[in-house]
Amino acid sequence: MRKKSAFQRGLSAFWWLTLLFLYAPLVIVMLFSFNSSNSAARFTGFSLRWYERLLGNELIIDAIGHTLLLAVVSSVIAVILGTLIGYGMYRHRGRKLGWLIVLIYLPIVMPDIVFGISNMAFFVELNRLTGLLSPGLGTMIIAHVTFEIPFVALIVYSRFVGLDATLFDAAKDLYASPLQRAVHFIIPTLKPALLSAFFLSFTLSVDDFVISFFTAGPESATLPIYIWGAIRRGISPEINAIATLMIGAVALAAVLSLLFNRERRHL
Amino acid sequence: MSQAPHGTPETMNSDHPRRGEAGQENASAPRQASSISIFGLKKYFDGGVVALDGLDLDIREGEFFTLLGPSGCGKTTLLRMLAGLDTPDDGQISIGGMDVTDTPPHLRSVNTVFQSYALFPHLSVRDNIAFGLKMRGVNSAERQRRVSEIAEFIKLGALIDRRVDQLSGGQRQRIALARALVCEPDVLLLDEPLSALDAGLREQLQIELQRTQKRLGMTFVFVTHDQEEAMVMSDRIAVLNDGRIQQIGTPQEVYERPANSFVARFMGHDNLFEISARDGQRLTTSLGELNSDDVNEGSLALIRPETIELSAPGTPSPHAPINLNRVEGRITERFYRGSNVEYRLDCGTTELMAEVSNSGQRLFKVGDLVKVEIYPEDIVILKDAP
Repeated sequence: MRKKSAFQRGLSAFWWLTLLFLYAPLVIVMLFSFNSSNSAARFTGFSLRWYERLLGNELIIDAIGHTLLLAVVSSVIAVILGTLIGYGMYRHRGRKLGWLIVLIYLPIVMPDIVFGISNMAFFVELNRLTGLLSPGLGTMIIAHVTFEIPFVALIVYSRFVGLDATLFDAAKDLYASPLQRAVHFIIPTLKPALLSAFFLSFTLSVDDFVISFFTAGPESATLPIYIWGAIRRGISPEINAIATLMIGAVALAAVLSLLFNRERRHL
Repeated sequence: MSQAPHGTPETMNSDHPRRGEAGQENASAPRQASSISIFGLKKYFDGGVVALDGLDLDIREGEFFTLLGPSGCGKTTLLRMLAGLDTPDDGQISIGGMDVTDTPPHLRSVNTVFQSYALFPHLSVRDNIAFGLKMRGVNSAERQRRVSEIAEFIKLGALIDRRVDQLSGGQRQRIALARALVCEPDVLLLDEPLSALDAGLREQLQIELQRTQKRLGMTFVFVTHDQEEAMVMSDRIAVLNDGRIQQIGTPQEVYERPANSFVARFMGHDNLFEISARDGQRLTTSLGELNSDDVNEGSLALIRPETIELSAPGTPSPHAPINLNRVEGRITERFYRGSNVEYRLDCGTTELMAEVSNSGQRLFKVGDLVKVEIYPEDIVILKDAP
């Protein structure tokens, strides 16, 4: 075997160090969620007691329900609206659309705390003036849809750009009416991109703490909000169990998003 | 109706008299063949650039008609307007006697084979072919039957069960053709469908396409920038440049009697000589004094390389007509092409290309002095491009 230079060994060490800092904390959380004692320092044996405790906690079950409901509903709405925007961006590309693209990107680069606070101020004021939209799942869904849309729009837009533009002509030429073109050509062609966008939105929604925190009402705490509250009383193994479940859910959604994204490359 | 743009008489000469009115007297043509009438068609691109400049054109039912020209000449724009994918700024298009100028593409009985083939990546080969029928509401059993029928007609064989991304360029081309033909359109449009293929396959598919068209008797409108392809396949050719028709005629007419210098150059002719003075049949050109039988008006003399005869100096030519043109030239380059040999000659004041068929005679070498004989009937007089 060829001998590695010092530089190459250095690079390789750097790679492993990066992996260590990325994954060691996650592994420790997952490991201690199965700890039989409540020690955060010593692993005393395997047990599922924290998961049982978790299932008995109504607040946690509610929080899981809110998280999933918020993620699914906001992702579905974001995929529908984001697809329309992505299609519009594609149809009108090449014209003077620079400013619209910037508007679409803005929520992506905006700090979450700014986004969250401004949403809170907006909803509170709206509620004071009209009596509509008191803080709760409704306001959270609107806020989540808003920050998920740009991701969906960009995924859909890039899928369209990667498509042979003549396909649109071919569909028209082969007698497809505007509605038939949407049903038999555009939606099936976009399907992998739409699924990928859905799972990405889902992941972003489950991950989000800051924006949820500022737009939530008293009855609509999600898991991250619950954890934040619970942590103020100290880290318990129960939190480790919740974190492990979340890692699992988010990893699954992220993998699905990647898989669908990859599938469309094959086509 | 005249197809002559801007009243050039040559373009009219090259057009056949019409075979009666569209879709009536020609009983042998199948039901779906339709004629096309284009009248005063105009299109401007953004910024006012003219794409089509008031184009008039009649395409007969059951004809293999080719739009030939360089890129940007308007041929693809015209094809897209026939499909309904582009709308003209002015003028009228009728297909089979029906005005379709404002008919959207999905309501026209016209199908297109696109240059990129545009097969739907999300569908199988079979579903791609059935797409048009499905959109028209043809039921599943009938779709199956017609797809199988066309698959047999085009000889798709096992290709029908492949995925689109498993197909080669030539196979995609045939699927695209099947997808369009299965709809039995009034007119089939083909937008450079062979340009992405390599030479051997292209020639094979040229023949296949031409046979298919003859067997179906369908009206084909074919777009290409390749003059050899146009000549091999077409019943008639329209040569386009700058959004105008330069000439319409059979391949033989367009090749042997180009209407102007643009058509001549585009058809691959190099030997064009300016006429500085003319006295009846006697022309003064950059090649010297020449006799021509051509009575047409024009400022250029065209001599096709394959009509020129070369021989060694001193060789007698016993049957030469009295007004045979004789020039001397020295060979500066030789291009051996197998079935024929091309020579570039230096004739003192100008260069001349000559093409001799290779029948086993001794070939001339670079530097040889040769006797050049040009028959008066082979000197064609034509106009400069408008």
